[in-house]
Amino acid sequence: MTTALEGRNLSRAFGGFRALDDVDIAVESGEIRGLIGPNGAGKSTLIDVLSGRAENWSGQIRLNGEDITRLKVQDRRHRGLARSFQRTNIFPAIAIGTQLTVASRALGETGLSDVVEALTLGHLLDRRADEVSYGDQRRLDLALALVGRPQVLLLDEPAAGLTVEESLKLAEILRDLVRRWGLTVLIVEHDMEVIFSICDRITVLHLGKILAEGDPGEIRRHPSVVSAYLGSQA
Amino acid sequence: MLIQVLNGIAYGGLLYLLAVGLVLIFGLREIVNFAHGALFMLGSYIGFSIAAVFNFWLGLAGSLVAMTVIGIFLDAAVLRPLRKHDHMVTVLVTFGILLVLEAFATAVWGKSFRSMSAPDLLSGTVQIAGEPFPVYRLFVIGVSLCVAAGLTAWLRFSRVGLYVRASSVDPTTTAILGVDTDRLSLIVVGLGTGLAGLSGVVAAPLMALSPTMGNYILIESFIVVVVGGLGSFSGALAAALLIGQIHNFGAIYLPWASTMLPFLLMVGVLIWRPTGFAGKRT
Amino acid sequence: MSIGESQLGGVGVRMAQQRYSWIFGLAALALVLGIAAPHLIASLLWMSLLTQAVVDMMLATSVGILVRQNGRISFGQAAFFGLGAYTFGVIAAREIASPELALLAGLVLPTVVAFLLGLVIARIPGVAHAMLTLAVGQALYEVAFKWRALANGDDGMSVRMPDTIFGIDSDVFQSPATMLVICWSLLVLMLLALSLMARSPFGQLTEVIRENDERARFIGYGTTLPRAIIYGVSAFIAATAGILQTLYDGYISPQMLHWSASGMAMIMAIVGGPRILWGPALGAFVLFFFKDIAGDATEYWPALVGGTLIAVTLFLPEGFAGLIIRLTSRAVRRIKGERP
Repeated sequence: MTTALEGRNLSRAFGGFRALDDVDIAVESGEIRGLIGPNGAGKSTLIDVLSGRAENWSGQIRLNGEDITRLKVQDRRHRGLARSFQRTNIFPAIAIGTQLTVASRALGETGLSDVVEALTLGHLLDRRADEVSYGDQRRLDLALALVGRPQVLLLDEPAAGLTVEESLKLAEILRDLVRRWGLTVLIVEHDMEVIFSICDRITVLHLGKILAEGDPGEIRRHPSVVSAYLGSQA
Repeated sequence: MLIQVLNGIAYGGLLYLLAVGLVLIFGLREIVNFAHGALFMLGSYIGFSIAAVFNFWLGLAGSLVAMTVIGIFLDAAVLRPLRKHDHMVTVLVTFGILLVLEAFATAVWGKSFRSMSAPDLLSGTVQIAGEPFPVYRLFVIGVSLCVAAGLTAWLRFSRVGLYVRASSVDPTTTAILGVDTDRLSLIVVGLGTGLAGLSGVVAAPLMALSPTMGNYILIESFIVVVVGGLGSFSGALAAALLIGQIHNFGAIYLPWASTMLPFLLMVGVLIWRPTGFAGKRT
Repeated sequence: MSIGESQLGGVGVRMAQQRYSWIFGLAALALVLGIAAPHLIASLLWMSLLTQAVVDMMLATSVGILVRQNGRISFGQAAFFGLGAYTFGVIAAREIASPELALLAGLVLPTVVAFLLGLVIARIPGVAHAMLTLAVGQALYEVAFKWRALANGDDGMSVRMPDTIFGIDSDVFQSPATMLVICWSLLVLMLLALSLMARSPFGQLTEVIRENDERARFIGYGTTLPRAIIYGVSAFIAATAGILQTLYDGYISPQMLHWSASGMAMIMAIVGGPRILWGPALGAFVLFFFKDIAGDATEYWPALVGGTLIAVTLFLPEGFAGLIIRLTSRAVRRIKGERP
């Protein structure tokens, strides 16, 4: 197995508070990696740093061996690193079909029809994004990340705000698409059920540092994870 | 030299009186008020009319009171109904108010220049460092320092002041915490407009009164507000004093560029640190 | 690209083609109307007023395009109007170069300046952007105001027209009957070009960027360059208006660059409805003719404009154009027999 996405010595501080403190992470190609930890552990910060959204951070990032530390958001995206957002991040007053068309002009159309079909957006293409339901917007957010068939997908709480039913359905769609495309995924999710059912490995962050890393079984039994985070859930 | 510095401080003080009103209104409503210069002009004319019948001091007080009432009305009738709109729309509406007020002043007081003299008590000059300096300018400096001190004390020590400061940092959270931002805004916009009226009368003996007298000083106070970091009270004071000096020394040493310097300063600040204040609202 | 669009619905493509023929048809009709206008309007005064109105419509369109494609409010658009006028006027009047070159320079310089400025300020949103454009515009105004050697500073300068420009007798530019046709035709062609641009991939991209700059970067686009291009386009239109006004009036003055002129153009655009391509032009047209309604009380025209602005923002957030579109679509639905 080769390493698809690797971050080294990643740090980011807000004032005196270290949101990320010298984190090393390596996600293998084809792997679904879960990223868990209590609120404020640095999960979203890590996703922001890896995707190029964050400013004032330090460390190194490699994508398929290539150093992308200094690349801008759009250049990382062109190299196959895509992400979704915890707070829906779409283009409100634009037709959904137009958004996907514009995205595919930059990123290519590979798998576009798969995405539209899998995320059941076909009947919404001529609707404006601010006129559809929240669930539809979440799926559009995901679709925008999947345009052009990226290699590595960073998912920041894709099921945030969805009902239990909707989030289970979304997990199923994701799992299916990821298997079919052989995507590498790093996913932040609060729903432990989703995490333990779809992830190959799990990284636990706590106060900006890595607390533990291992397969779901190991994480479930890891003493400091249990005491710091999982608690009674385990 | 000292005289020049004092001249700069007097002009800076005037700018501060106007700019601090803009800062107050920006803090609560997150808009830059283009009508502020026209309110300054209106305050000037009101003071002028009262002073013509009674005296300067009554004009000063009358304008302050009248403009405060107008400010409260402005907030209740215009700014509050528009608070759910895009802030830029409200900014444009204040521009509309500016046009209406200028026409109103033209209708009432005419287009020709009027002048208002300083009260006898404040006319004449004093010797400072061997040179004569108008007493009235010392008065301008005094008024602005008093307002600055009073405002700072009010913001720091009163409950309302605390709310105002909190609200300028984060209006949403402040509202959620149960502070009545609408009532707060009445006070703040009233006070800001009242200060525009006050500065209008204070400035009147130094400049000619006309319906467009507020335009130039409005833009200069925008510069003060921006350079001071929009929403910052102490920043506005420092920036006003800085612009006052630039205005004054520029006119002496760089006459061809003096009026441009503040704009270039503003462009520089905005490009260098747009998020300094734009970060609050995108 | 064609595969993607067919994947996402061939229906959309067909509808777009239908709309294209509509646009060309409308533009042709507008051009014919414009050419016929001097024969229909008897009064020279009215033709002159209309010519002025068309120049205003062009300036308002240039402000509107910045709102529509970039989502930015400018309080300094008059600077590009004035920069075009001054560049052309000064070069032509001082015979620094041929009038043709002067005209070209008057178009190119503001466009380039706006493009370069756009590269720097494209990222700055909202109130900060309004303040920044205001400051840039006023800085230019101060130059025109103070620099007496350039064009008599405050007093302005009359620009004596050369005998011919591009082989056209310059009387053509100074007579209301012909100038109205020229200005109107240029406005129509500009609106046509802008509406084609808005429907092009580039236009769609700029609207996507307007809606959400950050996400546009996350779907693989740099956002600074497209924004800067829109600044250039917008300044080009403003500069054209400035040059036309100079040709017609034979006079340039710092007032052309003043922030109150920028603010007025912005109001025209907002009143008309900047989200619709022809909205700003409509707004300028309506407000211009308020001047006539104001009649003898012309000095209160600004108050009328201000009052209209306040009323429109409160009661017609989509502007006059939005109102017209809403009424027509309701009428069309009623004709088709659908429930409203």
